[in-house]
Amino acid sequence: MEFVVDGVIKSFGKKRVLEGASFTFESGRIYGLLGRNGAGKTTLFNCINGDIRTDGGSFLLKEGEEGRALTAEDIGYVLSTPVVPEFLTGREFLKFFMDIHGGSMEEKKSADEYFELMRIAPEDRDKLLKDYSHGMKNKMQMLINLMAQPRLLLLDEPLTSLDVVVAEEMKELLRSLKEGRITIFSTHLLDLALDLCDEIVLLHHGKLEPVDRSQSDRKEFKEKIVEALREEDHGNE
Amino acid sequence: MGMSKTFAISFGIKNTYRVNSILYGLRQIPLIKKLLPDSLYESRGLKVFAGVLSALWELLSVFLGKAVYLALIFAAAAGGIYKGDDPGRAMLHIYLILTFVGAFVNTYLFNPTRDKHYAIVLLRMDARQYALIQYGYKMLKLLLGLLVLFPIFGRLVGLPLWQCLLMAPGTAGAKALAAAFCLFRYEKNGTYPNENMLGKLQWAAILLLSAAAFILPAVGLMVPELFCVGLMGLFFLGGLAFTGKILRFQEYRAICQAMLSQMLSQMDQASGAAKKQTEKLISPEAGITSKKAGFEYLNELFIKRHQKILWRSSRRIALVCACVFLGLLCFVYAQPKVGEELGGRLLTFLPYFVYIMYFLNRGTGFTRALFMNCDHSLLTYSFYRRPKAILKLFSIRLREIVKINLLPAAVIGAGLSLLLYVTGGSRRPSDYLLIVVSILCMSVFFSVHYLTIYYLLQPYNAGTEMKSGTYGLICFATYLVCFCMMQVRIPLFLFGLACILFCVIYCAVACLLVYRLAPKTFKLRP
Repeated sequence: MEFVVDGVIKSFGKKRVLEGASFTFESGRIYGLLGRNGAGKTTLFNCINGDIRTDGGSFLLKEGEEGRALTAEDIGYVLSTPVVPEFLTGREFLKFFMDIHGGSMEEKKSADEYFELMRIAPEDRDKLLKDYSHGMKNKMQMLINLMAQPRLLLLDEPLTSLDVVVAEEMKELLRSLKEGRITIFSTHLLDLALDLCDEIVLLHHGKLEPVDRSQSDRKEFKEKIVEALREEDHGNE
Repeated sequence: MGMSKTFAISFGIKNTYRVNSILYGLRQIPLIKKLLPDSLYESRGLKVFAGVLSALWELLSVFLGKAVYLALIFAAAAGGIYKGDDPGRAMLHIYLILTFVGAFVNTYLFNPTRDKHYAIVLLRMDARQYALIQYGYKMLKLLLGLLVLFPIFGRLVGLPLWQCLLMAPGTAGAKALAAAFCLFRYEKNGTYPNENMLGKLQWAAILLLSAAAFILPAVGLMVPELFCVGLMGLFFLGGLAFTGKILRFQEYRAICQAMLSQMLSQMDQASGAAKKQTEKLISPEAGITSKKAGFEYLNELFIKRHQKILWRSSRRIALVCACVFLGLLCFVYAQPKVGEELGGRLLTFLPYFVYIMYFLNRGTGFTRALFMNCDHSLLTYSFYRRPKAILKLFSIRLREIVKINLLPAAVIGAGLSLLLYVTGGSRRPSDYLLIVVSILCMSVFFSVHYLTIYYLLQPYNAGTEMKSGTYGLICFATYLVCFCMMQVRIPLFLFGLACILFCVIYCAVACLLVYRLAPKTFKLRP
């Protein structure tokens, strides 16, 4: 399976954020989407997710030679600030989600098995979500997005506000779940991206560009990335 | 930095803030919004326009507030409250006491404002200079305003001109005295008044003194005229004597920073307050469960956990309405003559109930809670935004809110019919049915109306701020129409039929629009 971004254009008023961004993402890999502040990472995600309309270009999911447009079911989108329906308990939210997705979920687990997977403690499972901590809300949001087994998983700065233990748990989880799907992980923390991701893609000048990792050690690779992003200064002038 | 430069900068900040507020405000109005360019804040023409408005406002602020204030005192003294033959004395009495209260409540020195924050905290301007310049400017405005306005009102109640002219320096003096007093107290024990956050004791004192100002003249008790004038004179001299204290005081920065940091933390709390407030409506009881599945499950839990604003409140309203009608029935039974008249009026009184039904409707609270506690989060999940899901949930929610609102409506409809019957009745038996059906229709109308505009305009953004001017306008227009209906008297038969017809057509069109458009419009605003 491949996810093809082809010539995507998006501007706000006169400001052009995406200027023909193109890239092909492959199944089974975690991509780190790096860009400077305001480079348009969230805009790109919002376009993929259908939250905002693009001005041109397309997103296609390819299996074999056949490409098709993305549907809502293909996508899981984890936002940087977790949002969960405050009036439900964790268990109720899971049940609601499983009700809705009854037919389409491939492997079904019990609610408790899912909670176990995310390491949400038994005493928290029947609490109202409004009383969850930030980290737990984040886990819930991640869980809901993983349960539907989306082919494309978008994560927008998801680990930045988590404590070290939860962040480490999340990284483990993402690595263990990468088979059979495309994971795109946006961040501006370089070290995090290098730790977790199989490939680094830069978003600058409104375009997507891969960075070749082969034949360079971590330090060289880092310098290469920073250098590539720094060039942007000239481009903006 | 020189005094004149500080003066210029401080007004620059205030003016920029005002101009940008005006431009922002313009952008909130639908239609006008479309005409404005994206680079709104760069546009020179618009800035000049807003600048002129801002300058006009500055000019008006010298006179407008003071004119209203003095007119109120004048009205109270010249017959409004005091009915005797010496309104001049009454005016002096009220003015003296209010001046005393105002001197402490509004010193001009301890008022945390945003432009102060920008200048003193962010731009690190000289706090003492800044505070003194603002203070001096406000004092000048006060003197000018009162010197012009007080004689106008004072002469009308027969006060001699010299007394009228004394009021301006007297008032300024009182303010200066109060400010100096606060500064002395700060030096002694480090406390300062925060004028935006008065304590209970202060409110009690304000109420007591205001009552003394306005109520004592009504029973003929007033401060002697000579005493009033003398005290104002003393205020003036005292204020003059202590001006030096205000000018020489050195710790304005410390006071300003403490005051402003307090203000900012209050503002932070306020920004998330609406969301937190709505979150508090969620009933935490453990026993709430649902046996349903899918969207019905979600909806049932929502309704049950929000019973405070939904079923419980609707049952309460129904109960109160039932009691009111019971009371009316008893009254009519005891006073048949009044009853007959009432019955006659009832036949043209139905439009009035549009307004009542508007007030009893739970629709706004429902949509607000729906967004804050449910849709705000779930709309970020793609499965929830599928057209089928949106429409399915819309129909479930519509059914529920209609049911919730129908309970009080049924009680009111039945009560009205009963009242009509008891008070002599109508020649047409169909009128009874018409009352019940049209009241029920009004209730359905409001339920549909609020949910429809919520689904079609979805006025909130991810930060739970209201972003749609159109939504606000429609809500206001709804209120206006309902308010006007109170003034209308139409025969029952005609109004009832028209009302039912309108509601049916409206609901049909609204639902059609939602089914057509909501999959596109029902999403978080950027």
